[in-house]
Amino acid sequence: MRKASQVTAPARAADPALESLFDVHEATLPNGLQVRLLANHQAPVVSLYTFFQVGSRNERPGITGISHLFEHMMFNGAKKYGPKMFDKTLESSGGRSNAYTSNDMTVYYDDFAADSLETVLDLESDRMRSLRISQDTLTSEREVVKEERRVRVDNDIAGIMDEELGTLVYKAHAYRWPVIGWMADIENITREDCQEYFRTYYAPNNAVLYIVGDIDPKKTLALVRKYYGNIPRGPAPAKVLNAEPEQKGERRALVRHPAQSPALMLGFRGPSAREDDTFTLDVAQYVLTKGEGSRLVRSLVYEQKLCVSIMLDWSWRIDPGTILFYLELKPDSDPQKVEAALYAELEKLARDGITDRELQKAQNNLRADHMRELATNNGRAHALGHYEALLGDWRRLLTLPNAYSSITNDMVKAAAAKYFAPERRSVVTLLPAPSEA
Amino acid sequence: MASRKSSSLKSSVKSTAARAAKAPVRALKRATRKAPASGRTASPRKAAKASTGALKLPTLHESTTSSGLKVIAAERGPLPLVSMRLVLRAGSATDPDGKHGLADFTARLLRRGTRRLTAQAIDETVEFVGASLGVGVGEDTMSIALTTPAEHFAQMLGVLGQLVREPTFPQSEVDDARERALAQFSNDLDDPSVIADRAMVRALWGDHPYGHDVGGSSRTVRTFTRDDVVRFHQERLGPKVAMLVVVGAVKPERVAAAAEEAFVGWTGGPDAPPTVPPLKRIPQAGRVLLVDKPDQTQSQVRLGGPGFRMGHEDYFPATAMNIALGGGFTSRLMNEIRVNRGLTYGVSSWFDSMNAGGVFALSTFTKTASTREIIDVALGEIRSVREKGLKPKELADAQAYLAGLYPLRTETNESIAGSIADTRIHGLGDDWVEKFRDRLRAVTPKQVSAAAKKYCLAEAPAVVVLGRAAEVKKHLKGLGPITVVPASEYE
Repeated sequence: MRKASQVTAPARAADPALESLFDVHEATLPNGLQVRLLANHQAPVVSLYTFFQVGSRNERPGITGISHLFEHMMFNGAKKYGPKMFDKTLESSGGRSNAYTSNDMTVYYDDFAADSLETVLDLESDRMRSLRISQDTLTSEREVVKEERRVRVDNDIAGIMDEELGTLVYKAHAYRWPVIGWMADIENITREDCQEYFRTYYAPNNAVLYIVGDIDPKKTLALVRKYYGNIPRGPAPAKVLNAEPEQKGERRALVRHPAQSPALMLGFRGPSAREDDTFTLDVAQYVLTKGEGSRLVRSLVYEQKLCVSIMLDWSWRIDPGTILFYLELKPDSDPQKVEAALYAELEKLARDGITDRELQKAQNNLRADHMRELATNNGRAHALGHYEALLGDWRRLLTLPNAYSSITNDMVKAAAAKYFAPERRSVVTLLPAPSEA
Repeated sequence: MASRKSSSLKSSVKSTAARAAKAPVRALKRATRKAPASGRTASPRKAAKASTGALKLPTLHESTTSSGLKVIAAERGPLPLVSMRLVLRAGSATDPDGKHGLADFTARLLRRGTRRLTAQAIDETVEFVGASLGVGVGEDTMSIALTTPAEHFAQMLGVLGQLVREPTFPQSEVDDARERALAQFSNDLDDPSVIADRAMVRALWGDHPYGHDVGGSSRTVRTFTRDDVVRFHQERLGPKVAMLVVVGAVKPERVAAAAEEAFVGWTGGPDAPPTVPPLKRIPQAGRVLLVDKPDQTQSQVRLGGPGFRMGHEDYFPATAMNIALGGGFTSRLMNEIRVNRGLTYGVSSWFDSMNAGGVFALSTFTKTASTREIIDVALGEIRSVREKGLKPKELADAQAYLAGLYPLRTETNESIAGSIADTRIHGLGDDWVEKFRDRLRAVTPKQVSAAAKKYCLAEAPAVVVLGRAAEVKKHLKGLGPITVVPASEYE
């Protein structure tokens, strides 16, 4: 699958405007914890991110959703700071926290007043070292996650369709099930499952720590050593096997659900994040759906008036990911007609490519959005972790604008021809069903 | 992706941007991460310790164009980006009778053609350089926000000027926009939280100018004509009720010169901002509105009562109180409803303060069977704060929480531009941001008790529940007279 690199030397060159902002200090502790520190004194606040290399990708049937349920449990008490104390201590020190779980990783962050740095390191290292999982908090947190599933999936049309699409696109890979997990699995995950999960995936050698903001990097590294240094290293987690078979033709599913309008969700099997086509597909995504003047928005929303909205999401993943389209139709739109209109646009892209102006526009927007992403401490810390986790090195964020500049029309054409081929596609159609009163 | 916390549940239908496609869960690149409405408390010692660093805000440079538009510029790096925001006192409160949603509808049409540029040409000009244009309408204001790479600043400001000075509102664009809006109203019926929020706005404000959804309803939007839009633009948009704020990597002198050129000759609109009367009484106080959506496995719950206008003297005590009650992740409501009982994924309370008045509200959701339990627990927690106020430690924690996080609001050009506009519109004073943390820390337990007595639903609240009425109705007895309406009432 992986093809020879088309990326030339300039594509790997750092952007000078970015390089001056990213004077990152790096270290690896003896227990394997990797640390990245970056000063920014614009405001007296700091953001700290912890990236654990584990997500629903590491799960198995029967405990789907454990990565996400476990993420919730990380807030429910450790040895030094017991139940409720993580949030109480953090918030009363002028901080806030949240986390998310994806298919590939689990990510925690804290934003806080600069002079609470040591308190936050104490809190974060405590839960990495000695999380306590009690039966009571697990029982209660399970109910919270079930409510989350009800609000995000069971009572949400896009959520219902997305779950259906996952099982169409993937037959063997763990990307098949939703990050939040199947309801029955959420109900059956045990305390022992959680403890095993913690031992396997939450060791310091499976984590990277990012601290960005009003800090002194040297002093901060000394504090990190003090708080995290004695957490024991864990065994290396088992590698995830990608047993996904080749797709041999279009796959389709029909969902009937009470709704005002039909809807379409499509997934095309894409490359993995580390393949060079990832950047080409970013350009294609911008040409197709970024902004009111993009091809699909102009054509399907404004000219043909078939859709209320159209979304394209090309999410980078460790293993081959999905290029996902979601089309909210008008109440009287015919889904077959909308599908045909979408395919006509995708075929045109593969056949004729894009204009020089479209290419330049996509590159301008990718660069501008990249800059906006880096406007805050939180954004910078997240970007460091995100690019390191998916591309293998945080420095890739410095070279992104040049990577995009090296994309050519021929590359976009070739990628469109390859990835938007009918045999790579899965289609979920939602048709309105009468509501049972 | 799934996330530990829900975003703030406060109505998100107020801005045009919120109407974009809802991304499916798995495809979200990042978890929703809107800041919690607010925070919590620390001992005075801790409060003094937390966030001692000064806020470095850029200097404001004011000028006025020959056409009478006030311009405020603030130079700020290091990223080569500029954020500009034109704020007009033409919010949904100025929608004519029977034409609810007209301000929002007009705002969306500004970019669909001007004397010199077609809709496509506007999109192309803005989007080609990597700039981004957004239009939003709230109760009090209409905002046009443009963020751009700094080197294209003057050109982009020129486009912004054209949008308000010489839009042409082509008939075909008006027709298409109306049709798109009607389709969106229909599809919104499938979004339980959007419909619950709409029902709540009506329950809290009734016939008041703030009492309708910013976007109006299918009933009103269906009647919109090109003449309506042209008249609204002529009568409501003009330099005397507008203000331009520019923050980013550009010299203030350049801003003044570019603004002069972009807005030269702009006329029209009223001489003074509209006056909106205060709200006399919550129309649905003590009553229950049950919105029926039979396919639901979960109920959306809203509770609300009177609040206060922006800039009111109760702002700081009430804000501190609310952080402890329903703001941060350690708030009483979150603790009792989510952490101790596992009844929900998200619960929050907030004060919604606008220019002429405000409300206090709570929002949450739970599985159908626990609808009554969640309402009772929420009302119990609110009553407890009303009757006993906060413990001193709770107040101190709330102060430390919000004071510590407040500087985050000064991190981006967009957020700074927004703060500048807000302080001017609501007359908060130019030292609002700088003094915010001191004023918050000065709040005493006694002031909090007084605020709690006033705002913690002393009068029976308006209750909105959206869910499976056949099952839920019997659980709601004793909360007040119940009216059941179908969800389609809110299209």
